[in-house]
Amino acid sequence: MALLYGLLWRLLLLLVHVNTALVSWLRVRLRSWKGRLWERAVAALLLPVALAGFPDQHKKLNHNPDATANPVTGNRDDGRRARWLSDGKALEKLPVHVGLLVAEEEPSYSDVANLVVWCMAVGISYVSVYDNHGIFRKNNSRLLEEILRQQNLLGVDGSKYSIEFLSNGSDKHNVVSCRPTVKVLSPEDGKQSIVQAAQQICRSVENKERSSKDISVSMLDVLLRESKNIPDPDLVLKFGPVNSTLGFLPWHIRLTEFISLPSHRDVSYDNMLDALQRYASCQQRLGQ
Amino acid sequence: MSWIKEGDLNLLEKISANVLKAGPMPKHVAFIMDGNRRFARKKNMERQEGHMQGFNKLAETLRWCKHLNIPEVTVYAFSIENFKRTKEEVDGLMELAKQKFERLLEERDNLEKHGVCIRVLGDLNMLPLDLQELIAKAVVTTRAHNKCFLNVCFAYTSRYEITNAVREMAWGVEQGLIKASDVSESLLSECLYSNNSPNPDLLIRTSGEVRLSDFLLWQTSHSCLVFQSVLWPEYSFWNLCEAILQYQLNHKSIQKARELHQEHQALQQLEADRACVAEHLQHHGNGKPADAQRRQEALLHYTACREDRVQDFLEALKHKRNSFFSDLCSKPVLA
Repeated sequence: MALLYGLLWRLLLLLVHVNTALVSWLRVRLRSWKGRLWERAVAALLLPVALAGFPDQHKKLNHNPDATANPVTGNRDDGRRARWLSDGKALEKLPVHVGLLVAEEEPSYSDVANLVVWCMAVGISYVSVYDNHGIFRKNNSRLLEEILRQQNLLGVDGSKYSIEFLSNGSDKHNVVSCRPTVKVLSPEDGKQSIVQAAQQICRSVENKERSSKDISVSMLDVLLRESKNIPDPDLVLKFGPVNSTLGFLPWHIRLTEFISLPSHRDVSYDNMLDALQRYASCQQRLGQ
Repeated sequence: MSWIKEGDLNLLEKISANVLKAGPMPKHVAFIMDGNRRFARKKNMERQEGHMQGFNKLAETLRWCKHLNIPEVTVYAFSIENFKRTKEEVDGLMELAKQKFERLLEERDNLEKHGVCIRVLGDLNMLPLDLQELIAKAVVTTRAHNKCFLNVCFAYTSRYEITNAVREMAWGVEQGLIKASDVSESLLSECLYSNNSPNPDLLIRTSGEVRLSDFLLWQTSHSCLVFQSVLWPEYSFWNLCEAILQYQLNHKSIQKARELHQEHQALQQLEADRACVAEHLQHHGNGKPADAQRRQEALLHYTACREDRVQDFLEALKHKRNSFFSDLCSKPVLA
């Protein structure tokens, strides 16, 4: 009997995987096909996919027909930049700080760089990049080079959109600029930073500089902000099939909205804009 | 209405449960039971009624978890942020909680039969005293039960919980039980309100919101997160199965990430111990650099001492927390 259930379980998983693969294939096809019949067929197929837990995919399929029609006003780059900026302004609310959580093996630096540049172009002030292996952090310079390269490629004017790269580690970098800022994060910035702040507090208690009764949420919050000095992420775009935060800044994500995208590889500007539109429509009641 | 719903699953539910159980099952599931008020609006009922329905759904969910062999459930019942709601609503919720805990105490025999252990996590001194006393009684009465565990987060936020853990460690330092250098990720975890539970394997949030709202931020760093659009009072057995299926699909990759993190943690601890030993040897050495063997011996000795210190501290903390509840119990419970 147990064997039968085991087999049924494997079959169930297989069905889910087949369905997921089918839908991703269809999604690619749909970019060129806008037939209503096609959409209905896909919607019917999506029911099992919804059961498999990829609720974001069907929203992806609400393809914006204007996306490919770029207003070519003289310089193509100018048109694009203007469009990005207006896209940002058109949103009901724009996140101030976006986290890009890459939950996939072997990240693609160019795709991540694209995302960063698009975020900046749309008007987002802070972008954090994270993966749970610490790959981005180890290859910090490579990522930042790639971002600069994409900036140039996309014709984003260097002086207007110059990006401030926050260096990692223990240096307390005081960011008082209004330039867009990129921060590369790794798991050490999560629980480990909280532990370090706790140690610091306990050491001051050990040295009789303060009492345990003085410790408050705001005290801890200030310490955790000192070395980062950027606001809490409003939105985290999670790339990849893993449904977990994988250690991303536990303290800072208390009110963060999480929007999943299937992959960061070959991600398009429209995918990102869709996600931002979803974010714009969510309501935060803040406990009330 | 009762905390425990008796009754078996129907045939289709039983078969589905058995199929799911053939794969990896979460041992601890956390729920953010969101959507009671929206449900009430949708059904044109009073808000309070929405919350009542929400509680019934909780009882039903516990029954499903029992049949799915999920021994531990944690729920987000009331956030510290919820105190910002209208006085009417907050009082209504406190009243509901009082009724439920009174009911729970009436059902203590049933709870014993099913081996249900109830824990309440949060900054309980923010609650009205009579509710605190009821909670204390419920916790103390069911403390010894060990078949299944229900953790109710009441007057809780994760940041307050983490801050409290830091305060406890600082208290330990003040009492001379531990040193500041003993502070580590695992020690912090042991000082959280949830220290008696393993981290949740699966976190489910209903009503379509896609945020954590200050719930178990530390504990769910490597949990499977499932956001479902159904409103909590409308939650069904199939919604739960859907969430568990998601957990199963993510199981291997999350397990890998968790193991990576644990390895990293162990390395951190080793490095920290080594650093302390090196400092110690420098101060107390005879000027000559210690040989590898001496360093290794010193490291083993230091680690053993640190672990003893930490154990003693955790015992003291446990005693402090138990006393908090026992003291509340010894006060007469208001009728």
